[in-house]
Amino acid sequence: MGEIRKLRVGIVGCGKIADGHAEVVRYLEGAELAAVCDREPLLAEQLAVRYGVRGWYGDMNEMLERERLDVVHITTPPGVHLALTRQCVAAGAHVFLEKPLTLTAPEAKQLIDIVVSGGRQMSINYWPNFDPPAMQFKEMLARGEFGDPVHVEAFIGYDLAGAYGQALMSDAGHWVHRLPGKLFQNMMDHIFNRIVPLFPDVEPEVHAFAYKRREAVRNDGTDALLDELRVFLRGGGVSAYGSLCSHARPVANTLKVYGTKATVEVDFNNRTVVSTASQRYPSAVGRLAPPLQMAGRYLGEAKKNIGQFRRHEFHFFAGMSKLLELFYAGIRTGGAPPIPYSEILRVVGVMDRVIEQVYPVPVSEVLR
Amino acid sequence: MKILVTGAGGFLGKAIVERLLAHGQNDLRCMLRDESKSRGLEAIAARYPQARLEFVTANLRNPNEIPRAVSGADIVIHAAAALKGSPAEMFLDSVVASRNLLEAIANELRHIRVVLVSSFGAMGVAELPRGAMVDEKTPLEQHPEQRDVYSHSKLRQEQLFWEYHQKYGFDLVVLRPGVIYGPGGGHFSNRVGLSLFGRFLHLGGKNLLPLTYVDNCAEAIVVAALSEGSSGQVYNVVDDDLPTSGQYLSLYKKQVRRVKSVPVPYFALMWGSRMVERYSERSKGQLPAIFTPYKTRAMWAGNQFSNAKLKSIGWRPLLSTREGLERAFAAFRAEPEKAK
Repeated sequence: MGEIRKLRVGIVGCGKIADGHAEVVRYLEGAELAAVCDREPLLAEQLAVRYGVRGWYGDMNEMLERERLDVVHITTPPGVHLALTRQCVAAGAHVFLEKPLTLTAPEAKQLIDIVVSGGRQMSINYWPNFDPPAMQFKEMLARGEFGDPVHVEAFIGYDLAGAYGQALMSDAGHWVHRLPGKLFQNMMDHIFNRIVPLFPDVEPEVHAFAYKRREAVRNDGTDALLDELRVFLRGGGVSAYGSLCSHARPVANTLKVYGTKATVEVDFNNRTVVSTASQRYPSAVGRLAPPLQMAGRYLGEAKKNIGQFRRHEFHFFAGMSKLLELFYAGIRTGGAPPIPYSEILRVVGVMDRVIEQVYPVPVSEVLR
Repeated sequence: MKILVTGAGGFLGKAIVERLLAHGQNDLRCMLRDESKSRGLEAIAARYPQARLEFVTANLRNPNEIPRAVSGADIVIHAAAALKGSPAEMFLDSVVASRNLLEAIANELRHIRVVLVSSFGAMGVAELPRGAMVDEKTPLEQHPEQRDVYSHSKLRQEQLFWEYHQKYGFDLVVLRPGVIYGPGGGHFSNRVGLSLFGRFLHLGGKNLLPLTYVDNCAEAIVVAALSEGSSGQVYNVVDDDLPTSGQYLSLYKKQVRRVKSVPVPYFALMWGSRMVERYSERSKGQLPAIFTPYKTRAMWAGNQFSNAKLKSIGWRPLLSTREGLERAFAAFRAEPEKAK
């Protein structure tokens, strides 16, 4: 097999998540991290020095002109994704964007239109959906093991005192506080990108409510941030609950699908995919068997995970590696992108509906 | 004379304010990121009736919040720095913050004396032989990418100060403290060891610990800030009669709490570091290279330390190491939850 040409990759936006991208790209065989850029050059410099990247820039146009990049990873806050995508596409680069894609669904549509009309490809970092358990789940679903989905539950935990949570709770000026949907907007891609592919392609009903559970009042911009979100959706014959929960412990990350044939739970943190055992034999004796069956299934998952670890397939960002492999392959061959654009638009559409309901714009602002 | 102290609400910052007041410097402006930190400083100021403390709440990440803090200051003591967080956050709070501060200082267009609290971490010690003397002549780190992010950010911060000093010609004094300890500080420097899987790995062995008690360190900063001959100079800050890592751990166990520790000799640590680095590379980063031979040489090879240069400008430790450890351990006993 001939050696593939390495794609020249750039990163714009050298904040916290850029480290994850740099870490993944450095080990991808078909790619080379050629340059990084941030409007704060000192941030671009630190990322470049730590990852041995030759080029670092404080100006993206300069990076695009000098580096002739094949792909740009846009890891900035979402408010500038549209403008940066336009620049990248004009320079001939494909784009890989961090979530959330844009501030609103119409803006997301515009972004994808720019990419398509420029003859380029885009994808969004829905990496957990490409992690080993998610890939396993998709294969089982395609084989019809669960039948048709009837109900879906997607649950995302969030730790306001964790590394990411602390960064925004200690800084009222953090960009997340300026998003129309605040913390939820930054996280709920990962709720709805699991639900939407299981729904029929119809406009779903969306009922959302949210509240603030934490008691501490800081009397600053962080106070406006709600921290508990519950959403109910229904599309055709499928319903779903989506939750973002900042207070339940452990901080969970799960998807449960109730199908016509079986019910399965995907645990993204523990990397297990286990279908629920049912009682096959009658009476009290029959109830003794299912827990043992479940224990056996979890044991099988542990064995599978150990195997993946031994084969060096168990990285924290394994899903991002897989997603990028597929995305880069699509770029090379001109094949379909790994996440259909229609699916991305349906996700951001649901997000807009949620934000409208939980952070309604005051009438005074509408009239203005 | 008005003196601005950045990071004034922090562990070291509070001690600097206290020592400035003790040296008769009463006109102090304390820069805080969080307004609530002013309470501790007010308690200190209450002991000095002449003190005039002014509080400025500012985030050094935001350049527009800094000029009002720098305005009218004759000396700026920069003690604010990031100790934890993601690499980007640490660079924002140590390096970008410093650049913003230096810009504000340069824009004042008048003479300001600048004092930087740098760190031992900025020095390139990994290539020194074991037991070599580390002093002000030790070169800066040449391979920051191979060190931890804290060292990298402190190195870049110090470089920035020298760059601006060259460009704008202001007086600059740099202090490089070793391990600052005391009540309210961390219990164990990584130089002693690390907690891993419920056990404390004692990695420091018989190495000398470059300790400086927080008040001794603050005293050094104030003496250097006020000393006429210190301009353009670097001072390493360590106390006298330094204990070894083993002595520190054994005293800690006696005076603070029981610790289940496992001694790891240097040759075993180096072997383990090579294995970890190789595994990380072979597995394409499945586990991070938290130990590498380079990091191990920098942190645990063991060195000698000197405070002779600091003493030449009149600094003397306020507390002996024995007294400092007693006070720190007494405080640690009262706040065991702070143990790392």
